[in-house]
Amino acid sequence: MNWRAVLSLFSAFAIVAAGAPTGEPMFRVSTPRGITFTLQNSPTPQKYLIETMPGGVALLDYNKDGLLDIFLVNAGHIAPGRAKLDSFDRANPTYWNRLYRQNKDGSFTDVTEQAGLAKAGDANFGMGVAVGDYDNDGYPDLYVTSYGKNVLYHNNGDGTFTDVTEKAGVAAGGWSTSAGFFDYDNDGKLDLLVTRYLDWTMAKSKVCGAQQPTYCPPEDFGATTSILYHNRGDGTFEDVSVKSGIASVKGHGLGVAFADYDGDGFTDVYIANDVTRQFLFHNNGDGTFREVGVDSGSALTVDGDMISGMGVVFQDYDNDGRPDLVITELPRQPYVAFHNDGRGLFSDQSLEAGFGTLSGAVSGWGVGLEDFDNDGWKDLFVAQGHVFDNVQSYDGGLRYLEPPLFALNRAGRFEKADAGTSEPMSGRGAAFGDTNNDGWMDVIVTRLGGTPLLFENRSASAAKSHWLGIQLEGVKSNRDGLGARVDVNGQTRFAATSGSYLSASDPRLHFGLGDKSHADVEIHWPSGVHQKLSLDAVDRYVAVKEDTNP
Amino acid sequence: MTLAARRAGAIALFAFAACGCASVAQAQQEQATSSAPPDAVNHLLTGTQLESRNDLDGAIREFTEATRLAPSYDIAYLDLGDAYMRRRDYASALVPLKKAVELNPDSTSAQRMLGFALLAQGYAADAIPPLDRANERGALGIAQLETGDYANAVANLQAALAKTPNDPDLLFYLSRASEALSSQSIDALLSAHPDSPRAHQVAGQHFFSTKEMEKSEHEYEIALKLRPDLPNLRMELAEVYASTSEWPKAEELLRDEVKLQPGNAEAAYRLGDALMHQGKMREAAAEFERSDKLRPDMPETLYALGKSTLLSDPVLAEKSLTHVLDLEKDTPLAAQTYQLLATLHRRQGKSELAAQETKEFQRIQSLSHAPSQQ
Repeated sequence: MNWRAVLSLFSAFAIVAAGAPTGEPMFRVSTPRGITFTLQNSPTPQKYLIETMPGGVALLDYNKDGLLDIFLVNAGHIAPGRAKLDSFDRANPTYWNRLYRQNKDGSFTDVTEQAGLAKAGDANFGMGVAVGDYDNDGYPDLYVTSYGKNVLYHNNGDGTFTDVTEKAGVAAGGWSTSAGFFDYDNDGKLDLLVTRYLDWTMAKSKVCGAQQPTYCPPEDFGATTSILYHNRGDGTFEDVSVKSGIASVKGHGLGVAFADYDGDGFTDVYIANDVTRQFLFHNNGDGTFREVGVDSGSALTVDGDMISGMGVVFQDYDNDGRPDLVITELPRQPYVAFHNDGRGLFSDQSLEAGFGTLSGAVSGWGVGLEDFDNDGWKDLFVAQGHVFDNVQSYDGGLRYLEPPLFALNRAGRFEKADAGTSEPMSGRGAAFGDTNNDGWMDVIVTRLGGTPLLFENRSASAAKSHWLGIQLEGVKSNRDGLGARVDVNGQTRFAATSGSYLSASDPRLHFGLGDKSHADVEIHWPSGVHQKLSLDAVDRYVAVKEDTNP
Repeated sequence: MTLAARRAGAIALFAFAACGCASVAQAQQEQATSSAPPDAVNHLLTGTQLESRNDLDGAIREFTEATRLAPSYDIAYLDLGDAYMRRRDYASALVPLKKAVELNPDSTSAQRMLGFALLAQGYAADAIPPLDRANERGALGIAQLETGDYANAVANLQAALAKTPNDPDLLFYLSRASEALSSQSIDALLSAHPDSPRAHQVAGQHFFSTKEMEKSEHEYEIALKLRPDLPNLRMELAEVYASTSEWPKAEELLRDEVKLQPGNAEAAYRLGDALMHQGKMREAAAEFERSDKLRPDMPETLYALGKSTLLSDPVLAEKSLTHVLDLEKDTPLAAQTYQLLATLHRRQGKSELAAQETKEFQRIQSLSHAPSQQ
């Protein structure tokens, strides 16, 4: 074989590995047909910090038609000089959150009003969204966070939602950011964790920067606690923040992710904090948590530096069966990979994972570890853009608008790949899922002042790799199966809709199988049930109901 | 600088120097050019009262009437100019302030106010004489910055800062003036010696310090073309790439620098750093060890050696980090070293030792407000 032949083989391999049609990037990037939503963050010269932090996006199948729908959180209108500064004009349709139902042809229809999701509550500046079936009726419910009050929308199962916040007792208050449903006491009912950012109000707001006005750093405001709501099972929740220990420490919470990192059968909580140490709440299994960030090695970088934690994902990136942490943050430090070393310990392996080259001069928000090329290794996608809209005026090495980061996982080390666009944007939220059920993971990203972008994975037509999607149905466990550990052919995923930044992802568990057309599946349900399956037919979604008589 | 920025500067200094009423009160204590008739004085008093209630339109009306009744009384014009200044109507302020100066050229307040108004309107060159006569060094420095007289601008802004240290506006303009002066000097150097690699190197350094990375890179590349054998050029350009996380480019340059200067410990250290940032820990550790041999007992090198061998060679890591603590006490680097040792010992199951090191890390952090904050 001559060198030309070797090179041609090499390039053929590269195309297959990337999984996209020949010569084209993996993703086609566009605003999905039918979606007209614009994230209205209302930037002002007064630099209210809330302006730059929204907004979340959720991928969920709210009407159970088998197609993922999209829920987008809007922010609100800030009108400096107006007497009631914090009304945010949410009754105005421009500032509504929006639910888009996916049609069979892949387009979307705005069903916000008919679903009962119009408006968003007076004095709420929208932030994020969590998705989970808290009443186990088989339909995903929505929890929308805000600066102001949060709203829990119960899915009625007929295409409509009802605001049940007051009855449920989950309005929170203050400045809530990411939230997530999980079952911390394994009682089969989803509980709710809400992170909060700062002890901040519009009245407390100030402008920083002598000649270049900028948003003030979080250190200029007080820290605050996260909230844990325990699901009583009767449609109401109890605030157990204090008695559970979640409120034992104050931080600047922006991201939250869940996984059982030490294999004790109870789901633990990781909170990404902005410029304070990160929190890892170990679930003691008795309804309480102990914050073990420092002791576990997951609170600070290897050099002992604080992390400007924004988004976080808690999944296994090196296929050793233990969930690792990837945290996005501001520039001048790489994104952080806390590798789970076992025995309850983590080590900062950001540089070993390749993040030193991928991320030192960018700012990351929404983040996911998904196997986009179905090769059996979870890849990395990050929505990017700096906090300050004028950062370039005082630091020529930084940019406000940045293209997203896409990196392929090569046996635990990430290498930059083509994200499908080099267009700079103010990316924030990111949700991950298979929007067209072709077995190849897609991403939807929100942009400040812009429409959302769908990164549609087009690999199905060209790639040979196999895949498997698993939809869990808990019986003794919570209906969504959130918190379950699922192993497939040596890969592990922890069932969750939360993670990323302010966003909620497809609840189905997706596994790339490479050239394997057989799947050995093991499911460790939160209830303790251990279930095994052997599947000879792959490249499909399978629904797995919890076996209560294994 | 834009007109808006100039206005902002003048406004800031206007507020900083003294508010209009203080200037006028001071002027009233200065000898006036003539006495005013009682009617004019009444209008001045009424105008002052209205001004204090923020009724600027009313005050302007009263002061205008006073100038009509006492056309040679400079204080009336000064009051009128002051009221316009407060309304940020600098164009209208110019006429009465010029008249006040004409009537009483020795009035420092009138000169100062006129200088501010001219500067705010963008007439920087015209603002210089009155500001100079009023000895208003801060605003004078801004006006000189605007007219390209950077050396005098720096001198005057420094003099103003000596009176009000840490004033953010003055610091901002001093920084701008210094940058401009530096840039001017570099331009002169490049113009006189376009083929001087040193000139391009200095320009590269200048743009790096002002965070203009593309320009910095460009200048260093020219310098390199002119003198590829000049020591440290690649190291400096590598620093530009490092600041934007372009580590592979930095590595390439540093490999050449190391060939050029095989005995340079810093070059070896920086190459190790570039390798470490790419996760090439073994290669990085080799460079750090080489750097340590060339120049022993450098705490940063020992720390980096410990960090790069933390997972692969815990014995060497512990030895290097312990050595750092022999050299550094209660410094940010010592804190970081304790943190790294705690990580190492936790991995080895020595949890008590790790806990002690974590405590030391936290203790030193509390002294120095955390190491290497962004």
